[in-house]
Amino acid sequence: MMRMLSFLLLLGLITSSCFAAELKQTEVHRVEYDALANTPTALIREKAIRQIPAINPGEYFVPPEVGDIPTSKYGDMVKLGRNIFSDTQHYAKRYAGNGLNCTNCHLQEGRKPYAAPLWAAYPMYPAFRNKTRDVVTFEERVQDCFKYSMNGIAPTLDSPEIKALTAYAHWLSKGAPINKELPGRGFARLSKPRDPTSVNGEKIYKENCASCHAVDGHGKKFTNRDGYMFPPLWGNDSFNHGAGMYTVKGCAQFTKANMPLGKGWTLTDMEAWDVCTYIWLQERPSDPRFGWYMNTFAPPLGGN
Amino acid sequence: MKNQNRTSVKQVMHALGLAVLGICIMTLTGCGNKASSEEKAAIEDGKTLVEKGRGTVPGCVACHGANGEGLEAAGYPRLAGLDAGYIKKQLQDLARETPPPGVVIENVAKDYSKTPRIYSDLTVFSPGLRHDAVMSSIAKQLSEADIRNVAAYYGSLPFQAKPVAADYQVLERGQDLALRGKPEYGLPACVSCHAPDGEGFGADFPPLAGQPAAYIVGQINKWQSGARDNDNLGLMRAVADQLTDADKLNVAAYYANRSLTVKGN
Repeated sequence: MMRMLSFLLLLGLITSSCFAAELKQTEVHRVEYDALANTPTALIREKAIRQIPAINPGEYFVPPEVGDIPTSKYGDMVKLGRNIFSDTQHYAKRYAGNGLNCTNCHLQEGRKPYAAPLWAAYPMYPAFRNKTRDVVTFEERVQDCFKYSMNGIAPTLDSPEIKALTAYAHWLSKGAPINKELPGRGFARLSKPRDPTSVNGEKIYKENCASCHAVDGHGKKFTNRDGYMFPPLWGNDSFNHGAGMYTVKGCAQFTKANMPLGKGWTLTDMEAWDVCTYIWLQERPSDPRFGWYMNTFAPPLGGN
Repeated sequence: MKNQNRTSVKQVMHALGLAVLGICIMTLTGCGNKASSEEKAAIEDGKTLVEKGRGTVPGCVACHGANGEGLEAAGYPRLAGLDAGYIKKQLQDLARETPPPGVVIENVAKDYSKTPRIYSDLTVFSPGLRHDAVMSSIAKQLSEADIRNVAAYYGSLPFQAKPVAADYQVLERGQDLALRGKPEYGLPACVSCHAPDGEGFGADFPPLAGQPAAYIVGQINKWQSGARDNDNLGLMRAVADQLTDADKLNVAAYYANRSLTVKGN
């Protein structure tokens, strides 16, 4: 009896599942594209070879998606950190002395490999820094960003801004190994075939950079809102002499991997050195660490 | 003696100040009026051409709508509130003959290690090519003045986007691409050039919000097939080459779903 019953049940299940499958087939309307296909079908151009060397998927750490930020107090802090990071001019205005946002260098909300991604930096701290000749924590490192790259005032270590930024970096590096150098950390590594020249750099700047960052390097402001659409590379609203981007090496490594935007790795190493030498020669706020004279008589002029 | 000197200096400064003020007022009133009156005339001429057409040139309103709002169903782009410089460049590029097959024009002359350049302004840019079955023949019949007038007219129009509803998942994926791009592939976000709300920036970066989804998908397909190649520094070409078919539809749906208000002048 029991066997009979189980057999009937099984039969019923199979038939019902078949019907369900049939129903689904009629309901689902056909899609015109393959959602999983990774190649564009319209890419039929004769010379469709990518100018950019393809980055192998799976080569770099992939941070969690924004939709997966947990709904908790921790999640709120992460969200605040993300807001500060992508819109520093609004969410941490009192600490910013120029017109930049964190995302101007840490591209794509701090996610892009070779644009100093947060997921590669956070697990490496505390670390010894040559700049300060001391072991610093991640929070102290963020303070330095505010002092030099943002040309502003460092938030205190217990401030909500530092807490939020740390929480955001912590969340972005979810699943990343602690204290292990990940591929894509920092910027590109460059060769230096000869000494760079700013003469060549000026040509490269006017050709490749000036259409967005303006010929005078002061960036381009929005016409319909506050702030910069394209960030200033020098001038009062840019980073100061103490910033890592001020060094020709730091700038060249960033430029090589990321500029012109969307066409990273297209400049040669030497072009990156040259254009950064040109940028290095321009005027910008002075280093807050050095010189009582400069700090007394020529203090940073501040933001917009 | 000292006091006298001071007073005379003061007087001179006062006179100088008055003179500067006068010059300012003159430039503000005189020149300003002249420029705006020229622009007004261009807008008026543009308006008549847009509405009535001329000879074999049909009026733009037939496809692009009475107020330049475009046609959602057919994928005809909106022109109202676009940057005048952008419209001008597109019409010039549409009118240009496409080169014979096999001829490749480099966007920027790059290899100057082999050909050292003596003059800093000796830069070779692509003239820009954009081919369209309908628009190319129309653009070829327009004069330089026509193009300027039409661009000035459409640049002055206000625009109010009508968001198109779309599937939630599609919008979510489109938003992810629009705001963050694909960092692990080196693909930048749309907002990093087309402005935070997709409203466009300057003559190089046209708006995406308020454009029909079919138009955006069609244009990306044209970048990929080579029918359109007229961007600044080849930026969009590099981006378009990396967009999969799903990406195009998602991001186009996202931008057709955005609201946007352009004031116009």
